[in-house]
Amino acid sequence: MGEVITVNGKILRAYGLEVSGCSLPAEQVGGDFFEFISCDERTVFAVIGDVMGKGFHAARLMETIRHMLRECIRINPHPLEVVRRLNRVGGDELRKCGAFATLCLLCYDGIAGRLSCVNAGHHPPLLLSDGKVKVARCRGVALGLLEDYLGSGVEEFFLADGDAVVLYTDGLVEACGPGEQRYGQERLKKIVRLQNGADADRMKQNILSDLETFTRGFSQKDDVTLVVMKVTGKGGERGGD
Amino acid sequence: MEIRVRQKKGMVILEVEGELDFSNVEQLQQEIQRRTEEVVEIDLQGLRFIDSSGVGMLLSQVRHLYKQGRTLRIVRIPDFIREDLEVIGFFQVLEALKTNPSA
Repeated sequence: MGEVITVNGKILRAYGLEVSGCSLPAEQVGGDFFEFISCDERTVFAVIGDVMGKGFHAARLMETIRHMLRECIRINPHPLEVVRRLNRVGGDELRKCGAFATLCLLCYDGIAGRLSCVNAGHHPPLLLSDGKVKVARCRGVALGLLEDYLGSGVEEFFLADGDAVVLYTDGLVEACGPGEQRYGQERLKKIVRLQNGADADRMKQNILSDLETFTRGFSQKDDVTLVVMKVTGKGGERGGD
Repeated sequence: MEIRVRQKKGMVILEVEGELDFSNVEQLQQEIQRRTEEVVEIDLQGLRFIDSSGVGMLLSQVRHLYKQGRTLRIVRIPDFIREDLEVIGFFQVLEALKTNPSA
C-alpha cells in the first residue's frame, strides 16, 4: 500500500480523478472523517465515515478506526473484506465504548474506470452522469452494532470522463432550516444535478453555498463533511444498475 | 427533552418529546434502567431529533433488556427519523437481536 492522502481543504488530482473535500465542525468536534488511501498505481480507496458521539472521545475513536482501516486494506484490499475485517477488529473497540461508526468505502480503479462501493450504515453516495443523479443502493449495518457485518455486498459502477461522485455525512442532509425543515437528500440531488460540467471544487463550493442559504440563521447540531470526486482521465464503459 | 411516563398492566410507556442527543441521552437511559416492568415501550412520536448517541443508547438498552429476558419496544417513530435509522441498519440490528439476544 502506498501513501495516505488526506485532502481537507485541498484539491487532489491523481488516478484520473479530481477530488475536493472538506469537513466543517459544528460547535463541538465530532467524529466525521474522510480520506483517500492509495492502494497501488491504479487503485485508490476513498472513505467517508462518522464515529458516534462528540468531542475528544469520538475523535480518538475515529483515529483508531482510521488506523485499523489502513491496516485492513493492507491485509486484503477487496472492499467487502476490508469492511468485514474492520467490523471484526474495529467493532470490538467500538462496542467496548458503547459506540458505533458509519462508513462508506469506495474503491476506484483508474484504468478500468470501475468504482466499487461497500456501505456500513452510511448515507449512500450520489453519482452524477450526463446531468442525471443516481443514488447508490448498497446498504449495510454500521460498524460495531453486530459482530458480523450485515450488508448488501459490493455495488459496482463504471465511470466515464465527466462523471462525479458525491460523498457526505448526515450533518449535511439533516441540517435544519426554516420551520425545522431538513436540507434532505432530494434538495442535495437537485443541486448536484445542476453541477453537470462543473469541476470538483466548484461542485463542492456550490453545494455548500446552497446549504448555507438553506440554513442561514439556524444553529446546526452536527458536523458537515462533503467530498466530490470527478473523473477527468480515462473512463470505462457505463455499467452498474 | 421531556419524558412522560404512563403505566399499563405489566408495562411502562415512556413518551419522549423534543431532541434526544449527546447532551441528554443519559436522562432517558437512567429512566429506562430505573424501570422494573417486563416490557418498556419507548414512544417516539414527539421526537424531533435524534443523534448517533441517542441511537447507540437505544440499541444498547434493547440488548440489555433482551439479556434479562425483558423487552424494550420502540414505537411510533416519525418517518424522517425512521429513514435515518434505516440508513444506519437499526432495524436489521433489532431483527438480529430478536433471533439471537446475545448478538
